[in-house]
Amino acid sequence: MKAGKLRFSKPNKYWVESSQKRYVPHPEDSVLGIVVDSRSDNFLVDIKGPSLAFLPVLAFEGGTRRNIPKFEVGTLIYVRVVKANPGMNPELSCTDATGKGGEFGALKEGFMFECSTGLSRTLLSSPTCPVLEALGKKLSFEIAIGLNGRVWVNSASPSTTIIVSNAIMNSESLSGAQQRIMVEKLLQKIQ
Amino acid sequence: MVAAMEEDEKKQQAEVMVTPGEVLGRVSDVKPGRGAYAAVHNDTVYASLTGFCRTMPPSPDSSDQRPTVEVTGHKAHGPVPQPGSLVIARITKVMAKTASADIMCVGPKSVREKFTGIIRQQDVRATEIDKVDMHLSFRPGDIVKALVLSLGDSRAYFLSTAKNELGVVSAESIAGATMVPVSWTEMQCPLTGQIENRKVAKVAS
Repeated sequence: MKAGKLRFSKPNKYWVESSQKRYVPHPEDSVLGIVVDSRSDNFLVDIKGPSLAFLPVLAFEGGTRRNIPKFEVGTLIYVRVVKANPGMNPELSCTDATGKGGEFGALKEGFMFECSTGLSRTLLSSPTCPVLEALGKKLSFEIAIGLNGRVWVNSASPSTTIIVSNAIMNSESLSGAQQRIMVEKLLQKIQ
Repeated sequence: MVAAMEEDEKKQQAEVMVTPGEVLGRVSDVKPGRGAYAAVHNDTVYASLTGFCRTMPPSPDSSDQRPTVEVTGHKAHGPVPQPGSLVIARITKVMAKTASADIMCVGPKSVREKFTGIIRQQDVRATEIDKVDMHLSFRPGDIVKALVLSLGDSRAYFLSTAKNELGVVSAESIAGATMVPVSWTEMQCPLTGQIENRKVAKVAS
């Protein structure tokens, strides 16, 4: 049970929104995990939850016993939570519900930082969050957001990556207009 | 004279306390019963448990006329699960394809030492065994009635709940109340009315 904002959407859906640093796994969440160990039939992945999650070695697009991916310890992966029952280790997959791979899998290069779960949800909301919109107009970068409070940014130059990461980290408690002003100030520094 | 004879009888009836490894006789003279075994290399019967050594006379119609020697009766021995015995166990951990349980009673008696059991996905029920979801059958803390399939490996006995009268006997809901069985797959919490899924045992009314 958590304290938070009571949200309502018609006709009859109420829910409580809160923001923590700790993540509680939920099915159909897309998260960023770090490979901790590999066993014969699944990888052990840390997703910032109460226990390690299992990623079956066959849960990839076209995955068979012959082409098992080799994830080293420490690899950052973008995965989807399949099953998350309390008391059991969550189960992950690198495919979506239909079996297609999509963007799931290992994330190469780039920079990963942690944030609160509330900020992750704001960054993923539609219409696009103001800070991402303002950054996207001037800079070119790719970004992966995990609902477990991890964000990965990659771009051609390190300074772009640093500016994007700092802008996102600063935007947590700012309103839309304040976020745009903050991004403009940061961009002025490099121009 | 009478007093001396009584003392002799008492000596014969007094049982000897034996420990594991003590020689109880030769294979040619006695047959090993419970708590004793025959060593093949030197044809001797040794004790395998601690307890009192008792000799049973052979049954008159068997061809083998050796008395049976067995070691029983030490009060530190509790019941031990054997293949085919009904046990009551508490589920400790539920995983993707197995559930671990702590065996508490064998038949009507409670055990004196810790025994672990494992219920595999294919032993949860008799029908559609590959579509079993362990989380919809058991939760940690449930009390189940199970049948011992085999001694299993060194870590745990293999248990089965694949019969109508086997399965969850008592379970607590998320709200903390003891749930009431509704069907063979559902139990209901009396406080909140929430239905939770379990593999429920059919209790004879």
